[in-house]
Amino acid sequence: MNRSQSGKNGFVYKLSVRIVFTLVVLGIWEYVARARLLGPRSELIFPSLESIGAAFVRNFVKGYAHLSLWNYIGNSMKLLLAGLFIGIALAFVFSGLSTVSRTFSVIYNYVVSVCDLLPGVALLPVVIVIFGVKSGVIVFLVVHAVIWPMSRNIMDGFMAVPMIYVEAGRNIGLKGASLLFKVYLPASTAYIVSGLKVGWARAWRGLISAEMIFGIASCPGIGLFINQMRTNMNNAEMYATLIVIIIIGVIVQYGILSPIEKNTVKKWGMSR
Amino acid sequence: MKKYTIKIVSVAAAAMLLGLTGCAANVNVAQPAGSEAPAETASAETETAPAETEAAPAEAEAEPAGGADETLNLSYQYGLSYAPAVIAQEKGLIEKAYNEATGGNLTVTWTQMSSGADINTAIAAGELDGGFMGVGPAVTGVTKGLGYKIFTNLSGQEHGMTSNDPDVNSLGDLVGSDKQIALVNTGSIQHIILAKALVENGYGAHDLDANIVAMKHPDGKAALESGSVACHLTSSPYIFSERENSDLHEIKEVADAYTVDYSFIVGIATEELHDSKPEVYAALCDGIKAGMDLINSDPEGAAAITCELDGNTPEVELDYMKKGTYNPDTNKLFEVATFMYDNEFIENAPGSYEDLVFDNVKGN
Repeated sequence: MNRSQSGKNGFVYKLSVRIVFTLVVLGIWEYVARARLLGPRSELIFPSLESIGAAFVRNFVKGYAHLSLWNYIGNSMKLLLAGLFIGIALAFVFSGLSTVSRTFSVIYNYVVSVCDLLPGVALLPVVIVIFGVKSGVIVFLVVHAVIWPMSRNIMDGFMAVPMIYVEAGRNIGLKGASLLFKVYLPASTAYIVSGLKVGWARAWRGLISAEMIFGIASCPGIGLFINQMRTNMNNAEMYATLIVIIIIGVIVQYGILSPIEKNTVKKWGMSR
Repeated sequence: MKKYTIKIVSVAAAAMLLGLTGCAANVNVAQPAGSEAPAETASAETETAPAETEAAPAEAEAEPAGGADETLNLSYQYGLSYAPAVIAQEKGLIEKAYNEATGGNLTVTWTQMSSGADINTAIAAGELDGGFMGVGPAVTGVTKGLGYKIFTNLSGQEHGMTSNDPDVNSLGDLVGSDKQIALVNTGSIQHIILAKALVENGYGAHDLDANIVAMKHPDGKAALESGSVACHLTSSPYIFSERENSDLHEIKEVADAYTVDYSFIVGIATEELHDSKPEVYAALCDGIKAGMDLINSDPEGAAAITCELDGNTPEVELDYMKKGTYNPDTNKLFEVATFMYDNEFIENAPGSYEDLVFDNVKGN
């Protein structure tokens, strides 16, 4: 089959491959669980799909400490969106500034290279001393997770803009900010979209690990929920929560990021 | 060009392999004293252990003079509360007890983990024969059917809550406010202590749940001292240094709710170990008991062993150690377990005291 022909056939092909693969993985899981391959306490640490399914429902109906999992998801998403918004906005501002000023560009490149390597959760003690223990700490960690890869991609995108575009822009009288908005940004959309993907994935993981280390009971998130389930040896509930995390990730990927990609870079013929 | 790439890749791969083996060696924190078998081989031995199980007791009975060689995998956590286990490890007391009773060699592998939940998971996976943890996770594990019971009390310690806020002098000042309380985790023994103090003073067990911030002991102490949270509920030895800090004052109701007389850390052993390797089980009980005896009879000597691991001077370590209780009988264990069930900290009811402990354990 010619995959570049895409259309309906390509979609059906991709979907069926994924469904078959998922079924095989689930089949292996179920076999290991049912055959109790992990010893006498197999069901506790490696629950069957049936008990994970029941736990999935229980998470939303019963939840933990009289709060449904919906509350935990809501709190996490609130912090995540705040962090993503601030992080992406700052990445655009700083990367934009670095196209305008050469000195700023040198400094900012250096800062990005250094900070990108620091895992957010390792910064937690410092962040707590500076910000206290409010939900702002989680927002800060999400900003930290998203701003550096996003900036790196935006700046790489700007670097890759062909000189001829920039010269053409200058010829028609663009400079500074107008050059940035009319030439640099549209020409580097492919990089920006891939930066969004990386930034989102990092932010999502960073959020949940931060919540697992540092739980604010007045604003409990998904990470705290997983930790609770682990503490109480409710492993079926824990796995069910991981599935919730995957579902949210898939919704964002296919419901938000893919449409953005389709309507910009794919439509403009910048990528396949 | 291609050759260079291959070289670089192989060097990188070698470096990663070295790193991995380094990690694996670190997992087994300490080599058992006086044992010939290196710690690294312990995991392999664990796998073969069930096969030996059936033969071992019979063999030991047949010739008690030259008993069978056995292995024992244990796990404990950080801090002075685990002192009897640390001393048993450092002085090889369990190995010695086994050797004196049967004449055989016992290889004990100790692993340090950072929470009772981790130890519970490792036990469920069949990786450990026993371990040491707080009453909270131990009762959770027994009632969840992890297949273990408590074989000894390990220690009782002081707990308390201090505050940096002059307006907070009792639990009543906190109920209904948005002032934050740092403690290790919701559902932890510290959370249970808070709930118990609330109930004993006429409030609801979960009235302060929304005020909790889950933080490890040292992070909570730092947050309290920097003013990020209003209160910190913690245990020995952190509570001692907070009490000495003149900027902080104590909320007395909490310390009274869970005194040093209560069982705090307990030792647990799998039913499999208890039933199929009685000699090893007996050596485990005797070795830990010997560790406690040393603390009670020669606290200076005991503090000298543990001070370095806890990062204290011998004088401070001795002072802190004397504030704890170390004896094998549990106290108020069932009362706490019942409180946990009544206030929804655990889902399954603890049937009776005997359901929680093995038959050699005395107390309540």
